[in-house]
Amino acid sequence: METRTFDNVASLAYFAPELGLIAAVLLLVVWDLASPARLKIAGLVVISLAALAWSGGMGAYFLAKDAGPHELFHGLLAFDRFSNLFRVIFAFVTGAIVLFSVPPRGPGVAPELRRDQGEFFTLILVLSLGMNLMAASRHLLLIYLSLELVSVMSFVLAGFKINDARSSEGALKYVIFGGVASGIMLYGMSWIFGITASMHLGECAARIAALTAQQGKVPEVVFVGTACMLAGFGYKISAAPFHMWTPDVYEGAPTPVTAFLSVGPKAAGFAVLVRFFSDALGAGSASPAVATPWPVLAGCLAMATMTIGNLSALGQENVKRMLAYSSIAHAGYMLLGFSVFSDAGVAAIAFYIVTYCFMNLGAFMVVMAVAEQSGGDETLSAFRGLGRRAPLVAAAMVVFLVSLTGLPPTAGFVGKFYLFSALLTAGGAWRWVLAIVGVVNSVISLFYYARVLRAMYLEKGERTEPVAVRPLLGATTCALAVPTLLLGVYWGPVYDFVASSLSMLR
Amino acid sequence: MATYIPLFLLFLVAAIIALAMFTLTSLLGPRNPTPEKMMPYECGSDSTGGRFVKPSVKFYLTAILFVVFDIEAVLIYPWTVQFRSLGWTGLATMSSFVAMLAVVLVYVWKKGALEWEK
Repeated sequence: METRTFDNVASLAYFAPELGLIAAVLLLVVWDLASPARLKIAGLVVISLAALAWSGGMGAYFLAKDAGPHELFHGLLAFDRFSNLFRVIFAFVTGAIVLFSVPPRGPGVAPELRRDQGEFFTLILVLSLGMNLMAASRHLLLIYLSLELVSVMSFVLAGFKINDARSSEGALKYVIFGGVASGIMLYGMSWIFGITASMHLGECAARIAALTAQQGKVPEVVFVGTACMLAGFGYKISAAPFHMWTPDVYEGAPTPVTAFLSVGPKAAGFAVLVRFFSDALGAGSASPAVATPWPVLAGCLAMATMTIGNLSALGQENVKRMLAYSSIAHAGYMLLGFSVFSDAGVAAIAFYIVTYCFMNLGAFMVVMAVAEQSGGDETLSAFRGLGRRAPLVAAAMVVFLVSLTGLPPTAGFVGKFYLFSALLTAGGAWRWVLAIVGVVNSVISLFYYARVLRAMYLEKGERTEPVAVRPLLGATTCALAVPTLLLGVYWGPVYDFVASSLSMLR
Repeated sequence: MATYIPLFLLFLVAAIIALAMFTLTSLLGPRNPTPEKMMPYECGSDSTGGRFVKPSVKFYLTAILFVVFDIEAVLIYPWTVQFRSLGWTGLATMSSFVAMLAVVLVYVWKKGALEWEK
């Protein structure tokens, strides 16, 4: 199908999901000012969910209609199945986070939990707008801008607990790391722009391909530029060695924000990473004429990320911090699929992101439900005896943790299966090394996930009274646990849907 | 490469002149410090308090708001110059942009960010 490029006005029809989000952001601000205090939070939640339903629904509609591929705004944004699939994913993730962030009500609730909620939901929605743009960017400038939009919102959200020292510390570290990473990324972009004289990914690809053919290898300038840009992407997906901010930010930020950061921006980071490598570097072409350094580079990143994430998670007492390291490890698994640079690899990443949404959001939700009932305690001791104190939530946590480990019959197993299968189908000694490191890492991860299981079922806590989980949290947790299990036994339709959405990216 | 040699020479000469001025003044200049000379300069009046004053965070807030509306003006200027050729599309675009910023202004106002003393 011929790719059509639209001008600004003609693009608006295809930009409708984002326009809806922008309108909702403005509406939230007005509602925050003008609403009666009693209805305030209900209204904020309704507006946010309506906008996300619109954005995700439009994405699904475009997918169903098989619209595109087009280029919007004179080539700034891509409109294809890839961007539409991610619109659906981001709308789902953000919707879950909105439900997750509804503050508790009642007389015993600290008032600061209900303060500044207007700003909170506004920032969450702007973040989802930024993620949509990230997945659709087809221009270096817009990649940078959307990445910064997501980053700046994340900084503010990470420091949202104003009088909490850990929250402020995490936010400050996040800002400093983010500033350095995006500086290095901009520098890398300037190299790419310097050699291709274009910021449009398609034009970059043509120029780089010509130079590669001419020189018989990937030009050094392209390699240096890409390596520098990886700093920015790696920071977003918290890949080693750009992961240092992750544990502090995840531990300090409010739990819904942590859950959001560990899923949403990470998925967006992978989307932009995949698009950059396939659109600008042509790394996905089935039979490259010359050997490219990308598989080795990505493989090294994947190995380092998995290993550092898993080994650091081993000794953590704070469950939130442990999940932070575990999310680094999961970025490593996804990088395994990325290092193949094939359709199968990209499909495996996207499917893994879908499964990861369910299991990771769910795990964080359980942490929040438990911490709420034990005075903000997020350590392992709060989970002692949870199997008896809150059987349903504990059971859901078992599902999430087993899935995060990657054991059948859960979604995490199927996700990992596709990642490894993409890796081994591509073949070669290097891929086998990567796969073995990945399997060893999965075994290591079982150890720290099992510590939580042991605390929940085999240890006795100081308190034995039942944990009263808020109905909203309990219902959302169960709603996440069901697909985590279901996708472990009957994943075919979802995988086919995701894979068909991506098979024509390039 | 040879084309750039004059440029490098220019840099070199500039660096030498600057360094020489500083070195020579510190070597040759007479030094006669008095307590008055060592005081921080406050337009001739006696100084009060230390030299390091923490600026209030309100300056930052006001400054960032100023930048927002300053950029608005920057974007409006070229539109006014090209008003006729951009036509209704331009008017619609600019109106929606200004409307968004109007919402922002109302928000900022109501939240009390424009009140200096609060």
